[in-house]
Amino acid sequence: MTFSLKRVNAIFMKDYKDLLKNSYVLFTIALPIFYSMLLSKISDDDPTMTLFPINLALIITGAFIQAAIVAEEKEKNTLRGLLLSPASTLEILVGKSALTAVVTLIVILVSVKISGLEMLSIPFSALLIALSLIFYLALGTMLGLLSRTVMETSIIGMPFLLLFGMMSMFKPMFENELILNAIGYLPNEQFAVAWVTLSESGQIGDIVGELIVLTLWALAAVVITVITYGKRRFD
Amino acid sequence: MENIIEVKNLSKTFGNKIALKNVSFNVKRGETFGFLGPSGSGKTTTIKMLTSQLLQTTGEIKVFNQPLKKQKDASFMKRIGILTDNSGLYDRLTVLDNLTLYSELYNVERKQINEILEVVNLQNETKTQVKKLSKGMKQRVTLARAMLHKPELLFLDEPTSALDPVNMKHIHDGLRELNKQGTTIFLTTHNMMEAEQICDRVAFLHQGEIKQLDTPQNLRIQYMDESVTLLLKDNRSIVVNKDEKGAEEIYQYMRSGEVVSIHSNEPTLGEIFVQITGRELA
Repeated sequence: MTFSLKRVNAIFMKDYKDLLKNSYVLFTIALPIFYSMLLSKISDDDPTMTLFPINLALIITGAFIQAAIVAEEKEKNTLRGLLLSPASTLEILVGKSALTAVVTLIVILVSVKISGLEMLSIPFSALLIALSLIFYLALGTMLGLLSRTVMETSIIGMPFLLLFGMMSMFKPMFENELILNAIGYLPNEQFAVAWVTLSESGQIGDIVGELIVLTLWALAAVVITVITYGKRRFD
Repeated sequence: MENIIEVKNLSKTFGNKIALKNVSFNVKRGETFGFLGPSGSGKTTTIKMLTSQLLQTTGEIKVFNQPLKKQKDASFMKRIGILTDNSGLYDRLTVLDNLTLYSELYNVERKQINEILEVVNLQNETKTQVKKLSKGMKQRVTLARAMLHKPELLFLDEPTSALDPVNMKHIHDGLRELNKQGTTIFLTTHNMMEAEQICDRVAFLHQGEIKQLDTPQNLRIQYMDESVTLLLKDNRSIVVNKDEKGAEEIYQYMRSGEVVSIHSNEPTLGEIFVQITGRELA
């Protein structure tokens, strides 16, 4: 498989120009920032809730905007044009994810600033955000490929929004240990625990378990997305 | 001349529906090859299989002398151009932005964008957002995109279906020029005039089978009526058989000075198609 930065950049630049004229995506980008402003007024000791602005930025911007961008390519038959060009699968997937990644990082930084969340050192933040970002971008790409239209991404994506975005908030509703343990393994929970642990101890050795779980989530999402891409790209 | 496409016993089924039945044909390098048939005859299915968008059920496809399955990589895709029935455009972007993306994907110089926009008669629309273009103009942008990198082999699925006669002529002139520069063209159409004007050879596809394959000229001769039509000075048209009796009749009319013109009764490709398949092309 070939990899040309020029082709990746061409797809990135096209998406960037398109984004500036896409009111749906621009509005969606503003949502996590708006929520951060609201959440900054509420104090909560639960680490998952403390990190909710980052998690929201990851799922709304990283997953849902990515899903919308991919679904629109399918809806308007433009993905077919890319597939029939010299761009390889890897170039298309990286090119289509690059803009969302950049936008998500900006939204995370703005949300963190607004919510007053204490940042970790740059390498630690980058590591945790990068692993989560890979997972959410892959999830968004998969949702986009499974949807026939941009509107459909909201319907197909809703269970994932509940699972990866809101489940932590519903924890008090459950008493079953098994369910609570399972929720603890969700990527947002692992991210929050790792973040808080690092902010307290500052030792990477203390979050090896969380890093492994986050890496597994990211790998699984990428593999499922590549398989979905193979099956659904020409639909 | 070398074959650029070789298709042997190609079949495609979708569930119980047979879309293509044991189709075999070759396309020679440098020719313009037309696949003629009504909607649902299997034209688009064929193009999709020739461009790796669909896998055949049975049969062999060779493009550039290589089995198709093995060559869907960047170097192969650079050698072909494709206009499909549902090629999409980024409608919030301008014509230029759309073509710039593809010029970079194909590593083509920007100046070729202007050249190709002249071919499709859109040189004054570079800054126009695609969503503001008419259907015909959008089709010309997708056509420009397919031709931008001057491919060795160009697949066109109904390239002029939404165009008015003036722009159709523009496109035909552009395709002839591209063909002159060495591009082999494989096009599907249900427009027999288009096929007659630009195709070196045509195949008639009906219900997934090739019913006839030859040059338009040979087909016309093969299916030519055994008569000629005389137009006389009093505006009468007389159909005369091409035999001894007919020759005598023509001689008499010519001798009396009544003949304005004599035409051989060559059928159009559309008429031949009806004769072979029993149904219209459109």
